[in-house]
Amino acid sequence: MSRGHIVIDDVVKVYDPEGAAVLAVDHCSLEIEPGEICMIVGPSGCGKTTLLNAIAGFHDITSGRIVMDGEVLCSTDRPRAAPGPDRIVVFQNGALFPWKTNLENVIFGPVMQGKLGRKLAIDKGRDMMADAGLSGVERNYPGEVSSGMRRRVEIVRALMNDPKALLLDEPYRALDSLTKSVMHEALLEIYYKNKVTIFFITHDLEEAIFLGHRVAIMTTRPCRPKKVLNVDIPHPRDYGVLTSKRFRELIEETSDAVHEEAWKAFQAGEKEG
Amino acid sequence: MRARLGKMASNRTFWRGLASIAIFLVLWEIGSRSEQWMAADIFAPLRDLVRAMGFRKDYLPWVGAVPAPSAVLASWLEVVDDPSYWQSWYMSLFRVMAGFIAAMLIGIPFGLALAMSRTAYGIGFPAFEVLRPIPPLAWVPASIIFWPTQELAIAFITFLGAFYTIVINVLGGARSIDARYFQAAQSMGASRWDIFRRIVLPGTLPSIVVGAAVGMGITWEVVVAAEMISGGGSQIGGTSGGGLGFFIWNSYIGGSYEQIVVGMISIGIAGYASSELLRWGGRYVTPWLKVR
Amino acid sequence: MAAALPVGAADGAAAVLRDTTPFGDASEALLARIAAIARPAHYAAGARIYGADDPADDIFVVVSGRADHVFKPEVGAREPLKRVVRGGVFGWAGLLLGQTRRLATVTAAEPTEVLRLDTEALVGLLESEPQEGGHVMERFATMIQREFTLPTLLAQVRRLSGPLTEEMSSLGLTMYRLSLWLKSPRPYLMLIGFSLLLGFWYLAVEAWKLPRFREMPGLTTVVKEWLSPEPTYGLSIYTAEYYQHIWMSIWRVTQAFFLATLLGVSFGLLLGWSRAFKAYVFPVFETLRPIPILAWVPLAIVMFVATESAVIYLAFLASFFATALNTMLGVESIDESYIRAADCLGANQWQVFRYVIIPGALPFIFTGLQISIGVSWFSLVAAEMVSGQYGLGYVINTSYMMVRYPTIIIGMATLGIVGYTTSALVRIAGDYLMEWRVRELALTER
Repeated sequence: MSRGHIVIDDVVKVYDPEGAAVLAVDHCSLEIEPGEICMIVGPSGCGKTTLLNAIAGFHDITSGRIVMDGEVLCSTDRPRAAPGPDRIVVFQNGALFPWKTNLENVIFGPVMQGKLGRKLAIDKGRDMMADAGLSGVERNYPGEVSSGMRRRVEIVRALMNDPKALLLDEPYRALDSLTKSVMHEALLEIYYKNKVTIFFITHDLEEAIFLGHRVAIMTTRPCRPKKVLNVDIPHPRDYGVLTSKRFRELIEETSDAVHEEAWKAFQAGEKEG
Repeated sequence: MRARLGKMASNRTFWRGLASIAIFLVLWEIGSRSEQWMAADIFAPLRDLVRAMGFRKDYLPWVGAVPAPSAVLASWLEVVDDPSYWQSWYMSLFRVMAGFIAAMLIGIPFGLALAMSRTAYGIGFPAFEVLRPIPPLAWVPASIIFWPTQELAIAFITFLGAFYTIVINVLGGARSIDARYFQAAQSMGASRWDIFRRIVLPGTLPSIVVGAAVGMGITWEVVVAAEMISGGGSQIGGTSGGGLGFFIWNSYIGGSYEQIVVGMISIGIAGYASSELLRWGGRYVTPWLKVR
Repeated sequence: MAAALPVGAADGAAAVLRDTTPFGDASEALLARIAAIARPAHYAAGARIYGADDPADDIFVVVSGRADHVFKPEVGAREPLKRVVRGGVFGWAGLLLGQTRRLATVTAAEPTEVLRLDTEALVGLLESEPQEGGHVMERFATMIQREFTLPTLLAQVRRLSGPLTEEMSSLGLTMYRLSLWLKSPRPYLMLIGFSLLLGFWYLAVEAWKLPRFREMPGLTTVVKEWLSPEPTYGLSIYTAEYYQHIWMSIWRVTQAFFLATLLGVSFGLLLGWSRAFKAYVFPVFETLRPIPILAWVPLAIVMFVATESAVIYLAFLASFFATALNTMLGVESIDESYIRAADCLGANQWQVFRYVIIPGALPFIFTGLQISIGVSWFSLVAAEMVSGQYGLGYVINTSYMMVRYPTIIIGMATLGIVGYTTSALVRIAGDYLMEWRVRELALTER
């Protein structure tokens, strides 16, 4: 049973075709296995967020196809996918609704879709939050808790909908490295319980290799996979992996590629994507 | 410039906007002439409906009493030849500028002082806040009693109108300057005066511009009202010397309703133009904000 | 190690608790219950009481001796070392939001006696006392922040669940804030400001009789008139007419404001939400908006045969523009991520509008409403001065014409008070509807 099997097939994205004609994604093909943690690494502004937005349905594609579990999300004929709870995005700066409490945020999806009655949703929400170590902050508003906690709440909010895939757009970018490392372990813990496909965009190579089954290093704009690395460190992983020999080897193998693209992006004067 | 015009022409939004204004004018024309066309027999049921709703006249409620755009245009073409109309412009503009400049000269330092010193804020702000809810126009009689000439009285009212807005905006702007700018300056050895000159002043400039633009709009509101209420100052016969507010009021008294609308539109243009001018000047003075 | 207290020793424990900040003003009954779950323990000099990252199970109350409490560096306390003696409480990490492990290492500097309270048991106890429980937690929070110099975001205590703790918290919070305010220099500076203002008025008109000020009504004259049961000019707090005028003005503003809010918010929401609607309607809106409201006075009189409607129309118009504009800006300023997140979570267009757009735009809407009520008063007064019967604007105008100068000032002052009150009411309504924003702003207070 393939659940969360995403195929990005020869996708091209050109912004403002009659004007500046910026090629953001250039014939990019990538296949993400069901239940896999696929990390996308690249310099800022290289077009990786465009890919994520295309999968999520926030942007059109110019040509190519994106297919999930055999269903065509978008193609040249129908360039925009419809956003839906089968692939839920966790946003860079967080998108928990500030006017709802954490618990109300968490139950938003199932209640809106009519899948669960309010009372059942609250019970399930409480359980899932407790699972993620978040009991105690249910009645708080997102603005009252730390950003690390907000991220975790947002992930729980996504998981409440039993999605096939989670699309994470540099979710830990704004956190300090201490909180980040805690978040990584928290994410893995959640993953081990839920086994969703994770499509995770980052510019942090160490984060990518620590978390991912596979790491795709993208070229700077226009974006396409430059090198795809299989991370053969077995799951479940923990903090100790970071100092293991294999980890260091993998970093050595790939850091040149990443650095090369970063340097190119720097010279091209990329603005923050 | 040509490219911009070209872009404007191909812009769908632009044409929609134009279309909507045109439709608005057409509807206005029809509505205001309703007394004429509703007299026709086929509209008898409509007349009955209007009466049943409690209106005593046989035209569309409210709109029916308004002069038609065509009539307004005709009136305007006449009035443009009348020098007293332009003198009204000049008088209102003069009062607006007087009050506005005074408000800037007093308001900006006052606002900055309140922002810079906690003590000054503690003393000054509550008193300011207590006076603020009193609408400037409520000061008209007091102002007339106090000031020797009517001009000064009106200028004082316009001053008040803009003053409150400018101070609030300056305060808001100064307080919202990111604390890190202060810290950075202090770590580089800046004195209090330096900080004021190089951080507070430029940092508050955008808010000053906003406050000025809004204050300018308020000033026009106040001038018009003050002119209407206080009888327009120097009354050298007819519509001259009174300012645009007086022009409107006088048109009403004199029964030329089309001129009322001419006056209204004139003031609208004047107010809008002055605010835009200010904003334009503001962009010139805060070039760093252009980068978007 | 730590056994339950023998009978009778509980009184001693209660006395010790009474000396601490968190339990200092708890009731006898509550103290007794807490003392009942307290377990004494003894540590030799130099003994380690616990280490950072150990599980945070007990709270420690010092009975005698001294404990050296050192925060681990990651915590970011201003003063990492805190010496805790009798009256001090440590080991409260378990009370903080999201904390289950110790934040500090604590060693006994000399032979030390403590009382240990199981954190969960204490929390349960506090939850069962809705009024007091919240109060004790507040005092814990204050102690943690003040005495232990913890950074604010870390120092948030858990919410007690239970019906009344919520109400207690907001009342307690207000009282606490009030007491802080009274202790700061602010109320006294305020007094200085007012006395300067009033003093100047009094001196300029009545004492020194400065040239221009001579004609003005003086402070004492106005005050005497305002508070007099037999006012010379017919208007004071004792006359019914005074309240009639106030009521007329308030009633007009209320009508105008509600109408403007209803129409303005709907209009603004549409303008912000639908690009097509905005393209068609906004140009006309923006063309009419710059016309000063008061320039409409004669036209309004012509349009609305009844002057009452004309006056309300004028107040309405000003409010409408302000409200619609701010609402539109509010909708447009909503971060796109929120809408996208809602889409992902399966909300349809209507649900997005109702559960994301409207709450998201509320802060702007309320700013607009506060502006709108001010503008409403502004227009109303002008309209009343020109064409009203009754109302505060009318009072001011006629008092001038009838040479009743003190009444002018009474009218102005009344306007100020009433205007301020209505603004405050709008603001309070906003704070009530947007509790989340009040809390967020409180955390980022400069």
